[in-house]
Amino acid sequence: MNRRWSRGEDDISDELLLSGMAVGDDRAGLVFVRRYQRRLFGLALGIVGDTGLAEDVAQEAFMRIFRHAPVFDARRGSVATWTLTITRNLAIDALRVRRAVPTDPQDRVFQELMSNRRQPDDAALTSDAVGRAKAALAGLPIEQRRAVVLAAMYGRTAAEIAAEEAIPLGTAKSRIRLGMAKLREAVVIAEAL
Amino acid sequence: MSDYTTEPTRCEAMQEDLTELALGTLSGRSRSEVLDHVESCSRCQSELEWLSIVADTVLQLAPEAEPPVGFESRLAERLRGSSDVRRLKHRRRASVLTAAALLAAVLGFGLGTLVTARSTDNVSQTKTANLISTSLNSQGHVLGEVFVSAGNPAWMFMTIDSGTPSGVVWCEVTLTGGRVETIGQFNLSGGYAAWGAPLKSPAGQVRTARLIAANGTVLASAILPA
Repeated sequence: MNRRWSRGEDDISDELLLSGMAVGDDRAGLVFVRRYQRRLFGLALGIVGDTGLAEDVAQEAFMRIFRHAPVFDARRGSVATWTLTITRNLAIDALRVRRAVPTDPQDRVFQELMSNRRQPDDAALTSDAVGRAKAALAGLPIEQRRAVVLAAMYGRTAAEIAAEEAIPLGTAKSRIRLGMAKLREAVVIAEAL
Repeated sequence: MSDYTTEPTRCEAMQEDLTELALGTLSGRSRSEVLDHVESCSRCQSELEWLSIVADTVLQLAPEAEPPVGFESRLAERLRGSSDVRRLKHRRRASVLTAAALLAAVLGFGLGTLVTARSTDNVSQTKTANLISTSLNSQGHVLGEVFVSAGNPAWMFMTIDSGTPSGVVWCEVTLTGGRVETIGQFNLSGGYAAWGAPLKSPAGQVRTARLIAANGTVLASAILPA
């Protein structure tokens, strides 16, 4: 990257970068890619569990983000949410296309999300919604945590979770609802602070 | 619109499906039933919004990972191969970093020399986060971009590369309800300008923006997303 443009680029909002990408500004695109590549690749890897496929997913996600930058509407949500949702949906689609059965999410990333160990930086995060949600997720009973992660991150339906966990559909639905309700409480508190 | 007190049983029965709707895992008939209910129930509408925020937040918990070496260059290659991007790259436009400098300049952050616009509006400092952009068109041709930044006050920015002669132009906006406000004036230099000014009304009320020449001709217009 041209160093002339590195100065102050951290101060440019995501929305402004998208506006630049929408009018073909290469430098805005590069700043955006560098800002988001670790998050998008990390999410893709977490879902598909394969480095090559995760790269394909993350690259396609960026392609779509570039293509749809002109129609991004900030009133409907944040850029981070938008980009992560695009990546998640592509990753789930990629899994469904390449594998006949859903992947078994027993990989490192899933295990990390399932872990209820507090990370060293969690304390610093607990003042915002993401930090509080992370702490709340870690505090959920294991079966609720698993149901929430499978649904929110891996796009599993209640029926798929019921089949994978060998539990009744009603139980799967209850686990998802109860887990999400506890996370909701944590996020509401964070938003109110 | 109903609320929880009038339909407690139905709302309670909807909770599981409402959660799955927010997670994006509900489909078919259940999805349409919940959507129908949400449309007429303020309590469930609010609940759905919260659950959607939670679902979005969970996505942000995924740990970051370093992409393989060469990720950026391979992506750049794909972008270069994209016809849409190639077409855009050939258009001479003000960069977003110019727009960022413009933003800083019009907000009084000391970069005023970069701005050629003359605006007599009061300048106040604010930090804006939400920007909406749309193209500035004339007879089917894109002449520039309009950026509207939400805030108090809201701001409008324009980058124009029209190829039309130099001269003073006026920017006016049409608000919800049809009221027209003149936002300011600036110079087109060789058909090019980058300009910004505070809006007198909230950003959400702006429906269109128009660029008017000294003789009253409408040079270009933009429709802001509702």
